[in-house]
Formats: sequence, C-alpha cells, structure tokens
Amino acid sequence: MATIPRTTPSIRSLNLLLRTAPRFAQTQYRRHTTASASGAKSSVNPEEVSHFNALASTWWDPHGSSRLLHLMNPLRHDFIRTCHASQPTPVAKEGLRYLDIGCGGGIFAESAARLGSVKSVTAVDPSPEVLAVAKAHARQDPGLAAKLTYLNVSVEGLPAPKGLQDQYDVLSLFEVIEHITHPAQFLDACTPFVKPGGWIIMSTIARTWTSWVTTKLVAEDIAGIVPRGTHDWEKYINEDELRGHFLKERGWNSPRVMGVVYVPGLGWKEISGSEKLGNYFFGIRKDE
Amino acid sequence: MKPIARSIRTRQLGGYVCHSCTRNLRRSRRGYATTSQPSTLEIYDVVCVGGGPAGLSLLAALRANPITSPLKVALIESQSLDPTRKFSLPSTQYSNRCSSLTPKSVGFLQDIGAWEHVKRERVCGYKGMRVWDGVSGASIDFSPEIGGAATEGGVVAYMNENLNLTRALLGRLDELGGVEVLEGEKVTGIGFGNDTSTADLSSWPVVKTSGGRELAARLLVGADGGNSPVRTFAGIDSRGWDYGRVGVVATLQMEGEGWGCEEGKIAYQRFLPTGPVACLPLPGKFCTLVWSTTPDLAAKLKALSAEDFVSMVNAAFRLSVTDLKYLHDLPSGQEEEVSWRENHTPFEREHVPMKVVGVQEGSIASFPLKLRHADSYIGQRVALVGDAAHTVHPLAGQGLNQGQGDVESLANTIAYSVEHGMDIGVRMNLERYESERYAQNNMLMGVVDKLHKLYATENQLVVGVRSLGLRAVNSLDSVKGFFMRQASGRGEKFL
Repeated sequence: MATIPRTTPSIRSLNLLLRTAPRFAQTQYRRHTTASASGAKSSVNPEEVSHFNALASTWWDPHGSSRLLHLMNPLRHDFIRTCHASQPTPVAKEGLRYLDIGCGGGIFAESAARLGSVKSVTAVDPSPEVLAVAKAHARQDPGLAAKLTYLNVSVEGLPAPKGLQDQYDVLSLFEVIEHITHPAQFLDACTPFVKPGGWIIMSTIARTWTSWVTTKLVAEDIAGIVPRGTHDWEKYINEDELRGHFLKERGWNSPRVMGVVYVPGLGWKEISGSEKLGNYFFGIRKDE
Repeated sequence: MKPIARSIRTRQLGGYVCHSCTRNLRRSRRGYATTSQPSTLEIYDVVCVGGGPAGLSLLAALRANPITSPLKVALIESQSLDPTRKFSLPSTQYSNRCSSLTPKSVGFLQDIGAWEHVKRERVCGYKGMRVWDGVSGASIDFSPEIGGAATEGGVVAYMNENLNLTRALLGRLDELGGVEVLEGEKVTGIGFGNDTSTADLSSWPVVKTSGGRELAARLLVGADGGNSPVRTFAGIDSRGWDYGRVGVVATLQMEGEGWGCEEGKIAYQRFLPTGPVACLPLPGKFCTLVWSTTPDLAAKLKALSAEDFVSMVNAAFRLSVTDLKYLHDLPSGQEEEVSWRENHTPFEREHVPMKVVGVQEGSIASFPLKLRHADSYIGQRVALVGDAAHTVHPLAGQGLNQGQGDVESLANTIAYSVEHGMDIGVRMNLERYESERYAQNNMLMGVVDKLHKLYATENQLVVGVRSLGLRAVNSLDSVKGFFMRQASGRGEKFL
C-alpha cells in the first residue's frame, strides 16, 4: 500500500477528517472471513457494515429510503458518458468491464450490466445481508446472470490483477468514500484495478455547512428520508481534496466534476458549481 | 454451473441473451420432450397486446430507434392482419372509419418513418374549422392565419382512414423487421412466471395465446382497446360513463370539392341538442360523416333509403332543430320533405358543407359513445396506451391523437430506461410516462366532455350564455389562436 505523503494539503485535510471522527477510531480489520484469505488490512468499517445490513431489506423499495439513490442512478451513467466523451480516443462501444465497489443492493451494478456496451460487471460489498438482497434481486432479471457477478469482499480482498485482462475500464465508488475511514489508502488500493486509460468514477458529498443541513439535519432528523446514522458528516470529502490526492504524482489525469442537487418534484438536477455545496460526481482517468 | 441440466428451461434466459443461445438451448431441451408439444416459455422485453394504431406505432417507434431496437419485441393480435396489409380501395371509395391526425401526431409518424408509407393521395389536410350552435346559430370560425397553429401549408389537421394508417404502420414494421408477430392468436390468459432455481420470474407477466404459446414479458403493453384484458390483469379500474349516444359514420359524396377548396378545405361541425354532427373533408368530392345522436334516432337513420339518408345529412347542417325532430319521425320520404323545407329556411350556402349527393354503399355504421379513463396507465411490468387507457367523445377528433401521444411518451420513456440500464418494466421506471400523459389526457377529456354536455341542451338560458361565449370568442383572435393550437396538438402545456 502506498505511503501517504503527509505534506500535501489535501491529505492533511483527509487526516484532519479522520481525527475529527472519533466514533470510528477503532481497529479497521475485516470482520468477514469470506472476504479474503490474506488477512490484509481492510478499508471496511464494521459499524458502517452493520448499519447497511439493517437497511438491506428496503434497498429495492421504490418508496423506501433508497428512492433518492434510484432516482440518482441515471445521472451516474450520464456522468460516465461525459467522462468517456472527454477522452482523446473514443471509448469502445462494447466489451467494457466494470468494477463496482460498495455496490449495496446493486442499483448501479444491475443497470451497468444491462448496457449493451458493458461486457461484465463485478460488484463487491462487505455487507453480507445487503449482498444477499442484491443477488436475490438480480434473479428477477434473467438477462443479468451472464454479465453480473457479486462478491462479498472488500477491495483489499480482491485478487490483485495479474495483467490488463484482470483490470477494469470503469471502477465505480458511488456513495462509498464518505463511509470509508481511511479514504486515501482506500483510493490507492483501488488504483491497480483500473486499466491504463480507464476511469475511477465516484459520487459523494462535500463537507460543507449546506451538506450538514441537508443530509444530517433535514434528511435524517427532520424529514426522515434516510435512517439516522446513514451519514457521518465529518467523513465527507471535498472535490478539491480528491483532485489534490489523485493529481499528486499518482498517475491520474483529466479530473472531472459535476455537482447535482435534488429538487423535490423534479428529481436530481445538474447544477454547475453545486459540487462546492453538496452531492457531486467526480471522475478521473488513469494515465495510459 | 453446468447450464445444460435436465431442469433447464428457456425461461431462465433473458431478453438480452443472444437469440442463437436461446435457440441452442431450446434445441437441446427437445431431446427430453415427450410426445406432446412442450409449452416452452419465451422471454421478451416488450409484449404488446393489440395491433391497432397505438400498438403498431409503439412497435414501430421502438424498432426505429437504435437505442431500443435491440429489445426483443412481440405483437399479439387476435385478428388476422392480412385485410389491413391488403387494404386498397379505388380513389372513389373511402373507409367509413376515419380519424383526424394533428400535425403533432403526423410529426411523430414522420419521426418513426411510418408517414411515408401512408397513401398520401387518400389523406386530406384541412385548413379551417367552422363550428356553430344548432339552436342559436352562433358560430366560430377557425382559420390557420389565426394563432399560428398550423404547420407549413397551413394545415390544422389531416383526415385519414384508420386502415390507411395501420396499413402504413405494418409496412414500416415489415421494413424494420425484428418483431415477432402472433396474428390471429387470442390471449387466453395472463398470469405470472415462476421462481425457478436460476431465475425469479414471479413478477413477470406471462401471456398465453390460443396458439399454445407462452410469452413472458419484461414489459407487457396493453394496446388492446376499451375492454383491455391487460388492464384487467393489472387490476387497474377504468371509470367513466356512457353518453347514451351513438356515433353514426358514413362516407359521403358532395356535389363539389368544397367551398373555397382552392385555398384549403374546411371541416364543419354543428352542435345539435342530440349531439354534434360533423362533416370532415376527404380528398376530391368526398367527406366523412360523424353524427352523434341517440340510439333511437341512429337506428331510424340507418333504416332510411340512401336518398332519404343523404337528405337527412343535408338537413342536419341546414334546418332548424324543430324541423329535424319532425323529419326524424317520418318513416320515409325525407328527400322531398327536406328539399321543400330548405327553400323556406334561411341559411348562408357557403357557411355549411356543400350539398351531399350520395352515400357510399355499406358505409353507414354506428358505435356507442362513452368516456372512460383508467385509474392508472402503469403497473409493475404493465403499461396501457390508447383506448385501453382512455376513451373520449369523438367531437374534438382527439382519440387517435391521444393514443399517438401516449405511444410517443412511452417509447421515449423506454428509450431513456434502456440508455441508463434501467429495467424497462419496473413501475418506477414507467412513472415518467404516466406523469407526462395522465394529467394532460385527463384535462383534454374533461374539456371534451363538458363541451358535449354544454351543447346537449335546449335550455334557453344555457343556449343564450353559450352563444354569447361563442360569439365573444369568435371576435377574439388571440383566444381562437389558443384553441387552434390546442386542437392541433401544439398548444401551450399547462401540466
């Protein structure tokens, strides 16, 4: 695992984040033996896992707490298309391989597997209950079986790619990074899985007073759209922190960002500049 | 996992599985089949029940769009489609079932490549509408100069035989290919699939046909008319009422091509207390009649000789309501009676349709008028379009256009889902279709219904107020322009 250069401002911010998250200042070892035989240090936070285990049954309820994620999902594909369209060389029209980390109930993983351009999707999540829901749901679409593989494992538990054939065109981290205790190490652990010229695509929430109001106060406490404890505001990461992390001699280029806002009655809307306020997508391309 | 097991069934294979794989598996399964024909479940992305204008347009739209063309689609139609494919009449004969197509509907048909298959010489664009009150005589004239409603060439709407449209849609589908057409096969039942060891199809509708086939549908589309079996399967109620009226249709021949036809033909509609009577232009000297009236009077009209029927049509646009009541009660001899009364009734010759001189043999028919609106257009893996979703009074000529609007919206919704990897059948992913169409259709149906009720009275007060309103609107070009744009499908959107 790459060492963290403690001098960069962005990583200082990440470390600051971790210091201000005493609730999760516990050992970060994997608790699922199914994940890996290596016993490697995991990015997975056990409290987060148990929280999402409890949420599992409502994952595919269109009127449940995951409704906002269902509504956001098309934008994820739109953002990936924008990233692909920005490449100097056009992206392949078929045969793409996706790795979805923290797939949850499989909202994105299923949708990616349905795309004609996608050859296979590997989707991983450390929560066994959530993954069971994902697998059960995928059986309702007989077209998915041949393209979609779920693994109950963390990124550290995946076998290291031996070559290009084991790497992925798109590695996605949707609403994941804000649940990770050591995000910098986690992102470095993801790097080997991305093909040269491939993308890490993620979405998360900026750590601002507005996001505290919308995701903690309104969504969890007042409106109760999502269960209490879903978000840990101190772990939110800002776009410039991510940008700084990847661009610090790690072999990444062409960062892209798209801020999105949920407008009741209209759904998720792209709003330029809103990445500074709340939810945003971030994409970055691995050097070829 | 070893796929070729004793229990393998094609139901485990999805719409996105390549066809040759499905075929191979099915072939391998035949080895285990007993002497009776095995009922093999076939999996489709879209199964459309009903091969009318709505169903055929939907399939053509899905096949014509490169985003949705990989979908595996099937059509189930209980009748043979051959009479439609072979539809051909000389230029002196027209089918009695005609519909008005708005420029918006025509634009959609052009987009999906169907309009060029329509026999254009049998279509009549009209440039004006004249509508008047049969009791007070108050009238309103719409012409394309007002309001900018019209397309290039100033057409407000196109009159077209329904068969000309369905024939064109079938031609377009033949050209596109890729639709599994089950014609002459009735739907004998709709149920749900099973949860087997490899796939859970318990949320998938499975349609059984009289031909012994079983089709599992990712999305089952009900384009199956007013008594939609698909709607019944989905448990969606349809509410409304019967008007106690029937629409009498006929293909008529006039003495000329119509007043001012050099500048564009005119559609005429007169509101009588029994219902509106409309004369809608077809090419040449022909026009199509839609006369909404009571079942009793319709039966009397249909029993008349051709000459007397023609006279009654002329009378309906010219004579007073009192005269009409008298004429309806005559068992025969209307021809003579009408020609005498016309001489004693003042009307402006060019404000009513040209005199009708003949009715095409066998073209007089009637159908009951009603209003129906389904409680919802969507369910889990179900969508309703056209008459399965709504039936409207024909007085505004919007029935077919509403169906085309549904189809355009549903096809766009499906394309959006495919583009974003969403399951096209899941109710949440169909919500966009319903939200685009339901309120809009409901508003239009409400307006049409109120118009019918407003004019179905001879109450002096109501007649006075409605005539005042009509005359006021007639003098206000901006208001007329608004109505014109609404009628042509290019109106402002409220919802």
